[in-house]
Amino acid sequence: MDQQHIRNFSIVAHIDHGKSTLADRFLQRSGAISERDLKEQVLDDMDLERERGITIKASAVTIHMEVDGETYMFNLIDTPGHVDFHYEVDRALAACDGALLVVDATQGVQAQTVANAYAAVNNNLDIIPVINKIDLASATPEDAALEIEHVLGISAENVQFVSAKTGEGVQELVRAIVQHLPAPQGDPQAPLQVLIFDSEYNDYRGVICYVRVMHGTVRKGQKVLLMGRQRTHQITELGKFRPQMTACDQLAAGETGYMVASIKSLHDVTVGDTITDAAHPAPQQLPGYQPPQHMVFCDFYPSTGETFDALREALERLSLNDASFSFTPQHSDALGPGYRCGFLGLLHMDIVQERLERECGVSVVQTAPSVTYEITLRDGTRKRVESAGDLPEMGHIEELREPIIELAIITPADSIGNIMQLAEQRRGEYKKTEYLSPQRVLLTYEFPFNEILYDFYDKLKSMTRGYGTMDYHVIGYRASDLVKLDILINTVPVDALSLICHRTKAEARGRRFLIKLRREIPRQQFEIRLQAAIGSKVIAAESIKPFRKDVTAKCYGGDVTRKRKLLEKQKEGKKRMKTVGRVEIPQKAFMTVLEPED
Amino acid sequence: MTNCRALYVHVPFCRTLCGYCDFYSEVLTAGRAAPLVAALVRELAGYAARGVFERFDTVFVGGGTPTVLPPSELDRLLRAIHAYVGPVGRLEFTVEANPATVTDEVAAVLAANGVNRVSIGAQSFSRAELRVLDRTHDPDDVVRTSAQCRRAGIRQISLDLIFGIPGQGLDSWHESLRAALALGVEHLSCYGLTYEADTPLLRQRDAGLIKPVDEEVETEMYETAIDWLAGAGLPQYEISNFARPGAQCRHNLVYWHNQPYVGIGPAAAGFIDDVRYKNVADTAAYVEAIQNGRSPLGEREQLAPARRAGETAMLELRLVEGIDRQRFAERYGQDPVVMFSDAIARHGAAGLLAVSVTHVRLTRAGLLLANRVSADFL
Repeated sequence: MDQQHIRNFSIVAHIDHGKSTLADRFLQRSGAISERDLKEQVLDDMDLERERGITIKASAVTIHMEVDGETYMFNLIDTPGHVDFHYEVDRALAACDGALLVVDATQGVQAQTVANAYAAVNNNLDIIPVINKIDLASATPEDAALEIEHVLGISAENVQFVSAKTGEGVQELVRAIVQHLPAPQGDPQAPLQVLIFDSEYNDYRGVICYVRVMHGTVRKGQKVLLMGRQRTHQITELGKFRPQMTACDQLAAGETGYMVASIKSLHDVTVGDTITDAAHPAPQQLPGYQPPQHMVFCDFYPSTGETFDALREALERLSLNDASFSFTPQHSDALGPGYRCGFLGLLHMDIVQERLERECGVSVVQTAPSVTYEITLRDGTRKRVESAGDLPEMGHIEELREPIIELAIITPADSIGNIMQLAEQRRGEYKKTEYLSPQRVLLTYEFPFNEILYDFYDKLKSMTRGYGTMDYHVIGYRASDLVKLDILINTVPVDALSLICHRTKAEARGRRFLIKLRREIPRQQFEIRLQAAIGSKVIAAESIKPFRKDVTAKCYGGDVTRKRKLLEKQKEGKKRMKTVGRVEIPQKAFMTVLEPED
Repeated sequence: MTNCRALYVHVPFCRTLCGYCDFYSEVLTAGRAAPLVAALVRELAGYAARGVFERFDTVFVGGGTPTVLPPSELDRLLRAIHAYVGPVGRLEFTVEANPATVTDEVAAVLAANGVNRVSIGAQSFSRAELRVLDRTHDPDDVVRTSAQCRRAGIRQISLDLIFGIPGQGLDSWHESLRAALALGVEHLSCYGLTYEADTPLLRQRDAGLIKPVDEEVETEMYETAIDWLAGAGLPQYEISNFARPGAQCRHNLVYWHNQPYVGIGPAAAGFIDDVRYKNVADTAAYVEAIQNGRSPLGEREQLAPARRAGETAMLELRLVEGIDRQRFAERYGQDPVVMFSDAIARHGAAGLLAVSVTHVRLTRAGLLLANRVSADFL
C-alpha cells in the first residue's frame, strides 16, 4: 500500500478516559473483530492490567478502514497509560505520525492528559483532540474542549466528539484521522532504519519485536543489525497484528508490524533501538535511544517457608515477559539471601510483586522501596546507591545527592491550600500555577523523589475528594543534607529497615517510626527492644512487652474443626514474616518505613 | 463402620442471649420447642437405624440452655436418648443447666431419665460481673440449683466459671473459686473470657465501652486456679478443666482423644468414620430438613490420615497428661516424637514442651502458650 493511504497513530489519554474502548471500537468497525468478540478492551491482554484498569504493554494493530470509497491502513499503536512507563510511551509515540488525545467528557483534562499531550508534541505529532463518553448524562463536552484549548493550546476547532461505547461520532473521527493526520514520509529506497518500540516474549517464537519501518524495506530472511546492542540476527518472520499475528514477506517504509528473529531473551532487545541491514547499515541510529532507567529499588526476600531458589525461579520466569525490571542477588545481614530489584516506578514495583505472588505462587517479604542516590566519597569517587543499607559510613561521604522530580498536579482550585501545605511538609518547591478554568488549576512543583514515594498520591486524592491527578518525571539530582537512620532490634541493626532522610526530620521521623514498628511487630515470648540511631547516637527507643498467655480456653464443644481452623489462621499470619535474630517481623513492618510524618 | 460411644445433643434455645457467647443459640419463643424435640428424636433414630452406634457410654446435652425446654418436652427428649444408653454403671449422662432455669420439676425430670451429671453455667459469684456477661441469674441461684440437683439424686455437679471478666479483680476471682469449692462440686471448668468474633462483647470492647482485664492479671488468675484447685483436691486435667479423682468429664475426654461421636441438633458437630460434620446453624432450617427426610448437614470434611494425626496431637496436648506416645503410635503408625520432631525440638528447647518415655506434654509455661505450641502440630 502506498504511504498516502497509511496512518500510524496512537491513542493517548489519562487513565480510564476510554482509550482502550475506542481502540476496540476501531477494530470492530474495520471488521478485524466481530461485535460478538468485542469483549472489553481486546488490546489489554493481561488479567492484572484489566483489573487495575491500566495498560502495561503496548500493542500495535493493523486494520483497514474504508473512507469515501478508498481503503486506508490504520496502524494503531497503543501506549502504556501509567506514569512509570514514560520512556515506553515516548518510544511508542516515536513510531507514530499522529495521535488522538482522548479526554473524558465528564472529567476534563487531567494530569496525564497534559503529560501525554506534551509527549506527543515533543515527538512532533499532529494531534486530534477527542472528547469521549458524550453519551453520559454528566458529560460537559464543550467544557472539556475549552480546557484542551486553554491548557494545551490545541485548537478546539478540530475536536471530535464521540462515545466509544455506543459508537456515536466514531465514523466522523475516522474521516478526521484520514484528513488531519499526516501520512508517513519514509523513503523506501533509503538504508534500512526500523524502530523497535516494544517487545514481548512468546513461549513458541521467542522475542517478538514491535517495529515501525522509518526508511527502507525490511524482508523476511534478511540479516539485520541491532545498532544499540551491536548484535546481528536473521529475521525468521515478519507480520502484522490484525489483531491475530499474520505473517507477511516484507514491511516497507511507513508500515508497522512485528519481527521475529530467534532472539531468546527480552534482555537482548532494548526498546528504542534501531534495526538496520547488517551488510549495508544506515549511517546512524534513530534518535532517542536509552537503556532502561530504574528509578525505584526494593529487595525481595523469601518469606518464612519459601526458598531462595523458588524466588529466583519466579523472578527469572517473570523477567521472560518483563525486561524492564532488574534483579541481582543481594545478601542482607538481617534477612539473609534475596534479590535487589529495580523498577521503572512504584506501580511497576507493585505489579511485579503481585505477579510473583499470583502467577508464581511465591510469597515474598518486600523491603520499603528506595530511590537511587548519588554520592561522592571523600576520595572523590562517585557512585550510585540503591538503598539506605548500602550507604557507606556518613564520615566517608563528601556529598549525597537525591533525585528531584517535576510534579504536575491538576486539582480543583479549592484544594490548593491543602496541597501547598502537603508540599511544604514534603520539601516541595513551588514553581507555578496555571488556571485551566476558574475552578481548576495546574500546579507545578519540584520535589525530592523520595518524598512522594509512598502515599503522596493517596494523600492528594483524599485532599481533593478524588479529583486531583498528578504526573511526574525525574529532572536531575541535587545535593541535600541527608542522613542515614538506622533501626536496631534487640541491639542488632536491621539493614532492611534503615532509611535515608533529611537531617532536620531525622529525629521526629525516627521516633514516629519506632512507634509504628511497635504496633506492627507482634508481641513475642520475650521483650523486644527497638532503637533508632544516627551513626552511634541513639535518638529514640521503644520496647514491645512479651506476651504471657496465648491459650484458647474452650474447645468449642465437639467442634474440633473450628479450633483447628483458628490455630491454622494464627499460623497463616506467620507467613510473610521474616525472622531477625529471634524476632519475627511481618511484611507490613518493613513498609512502615515509608509512612509519612503526620 | 465406627461404633460411636458418645452423643452430643445441641438444644439451641436460651431465655435471653449473653453478649460474650458465640455458641449458636436463639431466644425460645412459644411453639418452637416441640418441633425441635421431635426433630432431635428423629435425627437420633436415623443414626441408630444406620448402625452408627449401639449404646452410648457418654451423653452430653448442651446448648443453649437445655433446661429452658418445657419439662414435658425435656422429658420427651431425655427419654428418647435414654433408650440408647448403656448400663448405668458405665454411663455418664450430662445436661447443661443455667441457674434460675432449674425447678424441682426439671430436676426430677433429669434424674428420672438417668441424667447423673449436671453442668451449671455459674460463670461468677459476683453480681456486677454477671451483669457484664448479660447473665440474668443471681449468685444465690447457683447455690439453689446445685442443691436442687443434689436433692433429686444427681451425683455429679460441675460448675463453669469465667475469669478475665471486665471489672473482675484477683480478689473477686478468688471469691468465685472459694464459693464454688464450698458447694462441694466434683468438677470445675475455668474459662478465660474470649472476645469472640461477631459478639456484642467484642463490639463493646472495640468501642471502648469496657476495659479488658490486664493480661498479667488474667495470667495470675489462671495460675491461681491451677494451684488452688490442686490444693483443694481438684487437680487440673485439661487446659480449662479440674476434677476430683475419677470425676473427669468422660464425654469431653472423647473429644480430646479425638474419638468418634455422634452430634445431633442445629449447629451440632459430630465425628463419624473420619468424617467431621456440622449441622446447619439455623433451627428452622434444621427442623425443616429433618421433617422432610433431608440431611441437616451444613459442613462435611473427610479427614486424611495426616490431618487426623495432627488434630489428635493438638487435642491431646490440651490434656495435662499430654499425648500418650504408645497409643498414638498404635493409631498413626509413628511415635509423635518422630512425626513432630521439629515442633517438639523447638518448643522443647524453649521450655514449653516436656517429653518423657511415655508422654509428650505441655509444661506449665507451655500451658499458657498452648495455641502457639499446638499450632505447630497441625
